[in-house]
Amino acid sequence: MSRATLTTACAAMLRRDLTLAWRRRGDIAMPVLYALIVTMLFPFALGPEDTLLQRIAGGVVLVTVLLAMLLALDAMFASDIEDGSLEQLVLAPQPLALMLGMKILAHWVTIALPLIVISPLMAALLHLPASVIPVLLLALLLATPLLSLLGAVLVALTVGTRRSGMLLALMLLPLCVPAVIFAAGAVAAAQQGLPWLAPISWLAAALVLAVVLAPLACAAALRIALDS
Amino acid sequence: MANWVPLWLHRLSSPPTFYRFAGMLQPWAMTLALLLGAIALYGGLVLAPADYQQGDAYRIIFIHVPSAWMSMFIYAVMGVASFIALVWRIKLAEVVAMESAPIGAAFTFITLVTGSLWGKPMWGTWWTWDARLTSELVLLFLFLGVIGLYRAFEDRRQGARAAAFLAIIGIINVPIVHFSVNWWNTLHQGSTVNVFGKSTMSWDMLWPLLTMTLATKFYYAASLFRRARTDLLSLEGGKDWVRQIAQDEDAR
Repeated sequence: MSRATLTTACAAMLRRDLTLAWRRRGDIAMPVLYALIVTMLFPFALGPEDTLLQRIAGGVVLVTVLLAMLLALDAMFASDIEDGSLEQLVLAPQPLALMLGMKILAHWVTIALPLIVISPLMAALLHLPASVIPVLLLALLLATPLLSLLGAVLVALTVGTRRSGMLLALMLLPLCVPAVIFAAGAVAAAQQGLPWLAPISWLAAALVLAVVLAPLACAAALRIALDS
Repeated sequence: MANWVPLWLHRLSSPPTFYRFAGMLQPWAMTLALLLGAIALYGGLVLAPADYQQGDAYRIIFIHVPSAWMSMFIYAVMGVASFIALVWRIKLAEVVAMESAPIGAAFTFITLVTGSLWGKPMWGTWWTWDARLTSELVLLFLFLGVIGLYRAFEDRRQGARAAAFLAIIGIINVPIVHFSVNWWNTLHQGSTVNVFGKSTMSWDMLWPLLTMTLATKFYYAASLFRRARTDLLSLEGGKDWVRQIAQDEDAR
């Protein structure tokens, strides 16, 4: 396979998924609305005390983004399974891992990127100091692709099952613990005026590892789930 | 020369051979487990002296620590069996991996419950977000995830393969979780039993602990054999050897 056709295939895959997402723009807004509403509920539940909200702001934003992504994960391969294009992808001569990587990238752009864009607003609603927001954005920029990649592997595993929503949450929780710890650790350190580079570097290292391994694992999982 | 080892293992991986083999060993393993468990409990609860600092409350380690070791040991067995199941597509390995998961989850649950019972008088709280406790809880969720994924498929072999894949992902994840949680928070005491160096535990307390560890190993073997046999019968429902067993049962 020559380099040119591979690049074309990747670009076509990416363009196809992004176009499909753009045709259904309403769906993109849903996770964002969900995250905003969940963030809004916290002051109601805990009381509108500034110091308390400030203390939990970073963690609340991170967990809310995680939950919003979890809800949207289910749909990653759903429509492709229904119309059979996923089987076509498995049979295609292009490496499946690379094509799935493009699909994951498209999913991240349509689901996680809007959430990252809205996260400063969520943080501001909870009175997170403005100086911490860049660190929060950096942590989210590293943690959300990590979650997309890990989630994609699990979604691929559950492709052949009927009800997968709750199961997906059960399976993703143990995998996302390190990402949450390091992302929240960076935000908390920045909030206390401590150096925050170490947890961010760990997140980046984990992301590099996941970028290399997750598409391969995703392809293997998909082959297992479709093989019957 | 030493050809018989792989040959024997190969023969053992066939369901009817394993069915007979497990049926033969299962009562012995169960008897040993009960016997050693009783000895260990007597040694731990009656013979061993009380701790100078913790009094009698420390005695829960004779259940807690072997269960904690078993939870990790069973996860390792499940991971290895999963790997074999995925690479060589051996049906028996799938059965072993999937039937290990509920036993492992049970041991993990026992570890968490006994730890929390011990934590109340010692730390003054049922639960704390300490590193080891949290890793153990994550381990429980990993076990439950594997069981859940296995049950979610209609085709059992396909479900077993998918769950085996999840178990392997989990094995890579366990050290990462343990390390990250350690970095996050630690209150749990360090190890007192050391395989290679000298243990910092008195022999009076150590021998019941080690005996209990053996007992839990035998219990796991017995339980796994029993579960695997039942599972093999239902998986191989239409095969001749199962029909033969059913006819023999009928004749009795």
